Amino acid sequence: MKKLTYFPGCSAHGTSEEFEKTVRMVMQRLGVQLEDIPDWNCCGATSAHTMSESLAYALPLRNLVLAEKLDNTTMAIPCASCYQRMKVTKIHMDENPELAKEINSTIIEEGTYQGKVAIKSMLQYCYEDVGLEAIKAQVTKSLAGMKLACYYGCLLTRPKAVTQFDSPEYPMSMDHIVEALGAKATDFDYKTECCGASFSISNSEVVLTLTSKILEMAKESGAHAIVVACPLCQSNLDMRQPGAEKHSGKKFDLPIFYFTQLMALAFGMPEKDLMFNKNIIPVEKALANIGKIEPEPEKSKKTKKAVEAESEVA
Amino acid sequence: MARVGVFVCFCGANIADFVDVNQVVEEVKRIKEVKFATNYKYMCSDPGQQQIRDAIIQYRLTSVVVAACSPRMHEKTFRKALFDAGMNPYLLEIANIREHSSWVHQKDKKAATEKAIDLVRMAVAKSIANEQLHEISVPVTKRALVIGGGIAGIQAALDIADARIPVVLVEKSPSIGGKMAQLDETFPTLDCSQCILTPKMVDVASHPYIELIPYAEVLELEGFVGNYKAKIKKKASYVNFKTCTGCGACWQKCPVKVPNEYNMGIDKRKAIYTPFPQAVPNKPVIDAEHCNMLTKGKCGICAKVCEKGSIDYKMQDEIIEREIGAVVVATGYSLWDPKPYEEYGVGRFKDIITSLEFERMVSANGPTGGVPIRPSDGQVPKNVVFIKCIGSRDEAKGIEYCSKICCMYTTKHTILLHHKVPGSHSYVFYMDIRAAGKGYEEFVKKAQVDTAATYLRGRVSKIYKKGDKLIVRGEDAQIGQVVEVVADLVVLATAVIPNKDNPDLARLLGVSYDKYGYMSEAHPKLRPVETAKAGIFLAGCTQAPKDIPDTVAQASACAAKVCGLFSGDTMKKDPMISSVNNEFCSGCQNCVKVCPYGAIVTEEIPMSRGSKEMRTVAKINEGVCQGCGSCVAVCRSMAISLAGFSDPQIINEIVSI
Amino acid sequence: MITLGLQEKNTLLAEVNKRSGANVLECYQCGKCVSTCPVSQYMDFPPREIMQLIKLGQKETVYMANSTWFCLTCSACSGRCPRQIEIPAVMEAIRHIAIEENYVNNTKKVKSIRKFHNIFLDMIKLYGRSYELRLMAEHNIRTRDLFKDMNLAPVALLKGKIPLLVKPVKSIKAIRRMFKLADKLEKKHQ
Repeated sequence: MKKLTYFPGCSAHGTSEEFEKTVRMVMQRLGVQLEDIPDWNCCGATSAHTMSESLAYALPLRNLVLAEKLDNTTMAIPCASCYQRMKVTKIHMDENPELAKEINSTIIEEGTYQGKVAIKSMLQYCYEDVGLEAIKAQVTKSLAGMKLACYYGCLLTRPKAVTQFDSPEYPMSMDHIVEALGAKATDFDYKTECCGASFSISNSEVVLTLTSKILEMAKESGAHAIVVACPLCQSNLDMRQPGAEKHSGKKFDLPIFYFTQLMALAFGMPEKDLMFNKNIIPVEKALANIGKIEPEPEKSKKTKKAVEAESEVA
Repeated sequence: MARVGVFVCFCGANIADFVDVNQVVEEVKRIKEVKFATNYKYMCSDPGQQQIRDAIIQYRLTSVVVAACSPRMHEKTFRKALFDAGMNPYLLEIANIREHSSWVHQKDKKAATEKAIDLVRMAVAKSIANEQLHEISVPVTKRALVIGGGIAGIQAALDIADARIPVVLVEKSPSIGGKMAQLDETFPTLDCSQCILTPKMVDVASHPYIELIPYAEVLELEGFVGNYKAKIKKKASYVNFKTCTGCGACWQKCPVKVPNEYNMGIDKRKAIYTPFPQAVPNKPVIDAEHCNMLTKGKCGICAKVCEKGSIDYKMQDEIIEREIGAVVVATGYSLWDPKPYEEYGVGRFKDIITSLEFERMVSANGPTGGVPIRPSDGQVPKNVVFIKCIGSRDEAKGIEYCSKICCMYTTKHTILLHHKVPGSHSYVFYMDIRAAGKGYEEFVKKAQVDTAATYLRGRVSKIYKKGDKLIVRGEDAQIGQVVEVVADLVVLATAVIPNKDNPDLARLLGVSYDKYGYMSEAHPKLRPVETAKAGIFLAGCTQAPKDIPDTVAQASACAAKVCGLFSGDTMKKDPMISSVNNEFCSGCQNCVKVCPYGAIVTEEIPMSRGSKEMRTVAKINEGVCQGCGSCVAVCRSMAISLAGFSDPQIINEIVSI
Repeated sequence: MITLGLQEKNTLLAEVNKRSGANVLECYQCGKCVSTCPVSQYMDFPPREIMQLIKLGQKETVYMANSTWFCLTCSACSGRCPRQIEIPAVMEAIRHIAIEENYVNNTKKVKSIRKFHNIFLDMIKLYGRSYELRLMAEHNIRTRDLFKDMNLAPVALLKGKIPLLVKPVKSIKAIRRMFKLADKLEKKHQ
């Protein structure tokens, strides 16, 4: 079994418990053993770097130092924000060894940072290290019939210099994963627009405006549901969806899944373990599309015509 | 029996969308002389031309009608197609169904189609009476006249002379070099203007194929392409250039001080002077307007100190003539006087200067030793405001057009200021930054990023004085707020305008000019250096505002055109010109009066064969005639005929509809 | 009205450039950032104008603007910036200087955002991890908006979206020590 260093992040014990749980389930199935960073702390999130530069580096750095105590070369992080803060810190520390030394020696007592662990988001790990073939191989219950809008938000692919993963404007990694599960990924132009992130609490009106547009565009793409890989995206799109509907006067009715929930579902894991009950927007209607495969009218007609034309020629 | 082929062009959608090209073909097929008619998407393309060539042979055609765009566009193309198929090229007629029908009747396809059919029908009728014509050969004088000795004239002269064609270069002022000689560094490379220009000036003076005539003007130009005669006035310099060594004793001792044009009047020169130390020729002239000896008959110091005895107060203007085959006009530009900007206090505030004044100050050889100063107190300015579009793009005060060079030289000035005055800061008020050119956008970035010039987007509304500072008020549209800059010096990027005497020169040369006074090129895109008058070419700002790279490119293009023109001993000329039937000519000479080219003279011929009594008839100079047809129209005895537009051809056209 | 040409040096520009590692002078005012930014409509001055105001040395305006507080650091702008300016870094630099130099924007929305971040950091100081329920409640109390999102609370709690308790870091002392020392380090760097 492959080993992987794992940073769950604060929301794993709170709003994104279902993400946390399904990550562990699918990783187990894919033959990856997760090793949690011992006694990890909060990455500081937006608040730390908003208010203080030193703290913004110090909090993640402690985690990086602790991570190096495990014997793995790669670390995966489910939360996009944690991922971003940890990776920004790693890059900054690697580029400015003097500063790294200073912060490390003054603030952190747990050890000395060496910069030997690569950091990936869980999405990136699934896409690059596990791979589509391995994912496909585990599918026992295809999601065919389901149309999904994959929403990446900001921090999984931006800024390019930090993430070095997929496209910052029109990423496709999650789309490819859900298609490996048998579902259809819709053409969704708002897949990287910001959801309002931490304004959820401090400035919820902004979040309602931003999520309304994202939900509207996802609906327009023909999706039955939205797939995400970030706890904050999930809670802004799901928990704030009734508010967004009121705000925009439109009905969306789009459940918001973590991509690992759908992986687990397609891997044939029992539905009751996937914690769909935590979704604010009910998932049943969307899931009912599984197995309902619509014929693709235009294409089939065309081929029919083409066949006729060919036979005529013959 | 005539056998006509008709070829109707779609011109992509240009014609086909508004004229039913199939119907045109069907209609003209009914004309009994039309033996073949077809249409095609692009008749001018090679497959289109091939159809014409094939049909000429297959249907043994006696004339060809192409219904397409203006003959100005593709007449030559199709004539060549006929020639390639073994047919006389003048058996072609063009029916212009694009400019004359499809483009102007886009709202009514039916009417446009009817008109197109009529146009084609006329062309078919005319072509039936077409005759075989042959190009005319005229001899060529292989010598070029270049008017103006700025960078445009210098480049054209050198390029032509390098091809071993003699050049006469006429310059109005005492030295060649023009505006470029006044510049410090040039954009976008910041190479020193003098360093790249002066070697070329020396080359001109020493070139065996260039006759340099400084301090002179062209008075007259007569003749026609390949055979012009120019009358040139050499202004009296009062100095014998042959004996003068340029030692400088005369101007050092001259007591009269005159504002120095080369330095924009910032310092003084003497009444006997060379414009600048690197002048070519490096010989002084006496400014007759200011010389005490010439105005009052008193002084004579320069003559006394001249060891060579080169001063000649009695020298007169001299008229000389040169026979030439082609002319390059390169007379340059002037700068607009910003006086109308009363709201800026132009004229009232000493510390508002023009960009060329600033250029002279920052020049290493300038009047202030390369450092800008405030004219009011001689202090070196820290905060300098540059204002672009002074007169340019200002219909109320100046001119409509963009002067094209100000954005870039202002950019250069911010960089030069930064280099020459440590701790200084540039503020640039602008409406747009037009930096289309190789390395130009990068140059602007250099000014904005490396030099930290502050660009403020807006036209300045007012300048007022507070203490010894000038307060410059304008909007910065980038933040939507009014800003005031406390300035030590204000520099105005004044518009490029044509020289005042451009229209006079244009008329003298027989070249047309636009509403501003710039001389007009033959075609704005496809013939940018030729004028409508054969053998006369335009280089540099005589034609329109342009920068040094464009000017030099255009000058070299002129040289290439001149060399092309002179490539044979004779020149081919269009045969569509007038001829006189002496038998009918009454000698009334109405034609002589109306000919705009002076192509008609008179001659005496015997009244009848063997008779000693003589009578006067008109005679066409084949080289000069441009085939305009004015003489044909005024000839009461119908003695004059224009080849290609003969009476039978015209009558056929009229009868056909 | 803005008056220019009185200052010897543009210290604002120098400070922001130094802190952010960006060069604001690179900005040529195309405005792509403004139409990219999801929250530019809420800003006093959208990013492009902030850039120009920095160039014009308008310290007070820049530090007092709500723009930097509204910036979500989503990095969409910098990803599209044709001059590749790290705009979020510029925004962050302004915010940090404003905090240090006591430029306080006390409009309701900025206050709310600032309070959120302070509470969040307090939470980390206390537990080493974030505690969402307390964060929400405390934010409501501190912004005196007690009933905000009350409609959300029951359903969120019922669904177990927001846990009632937090699992704190074991070595919480280490965390508190970090806060203290980070503060010191910050002051040293100024």
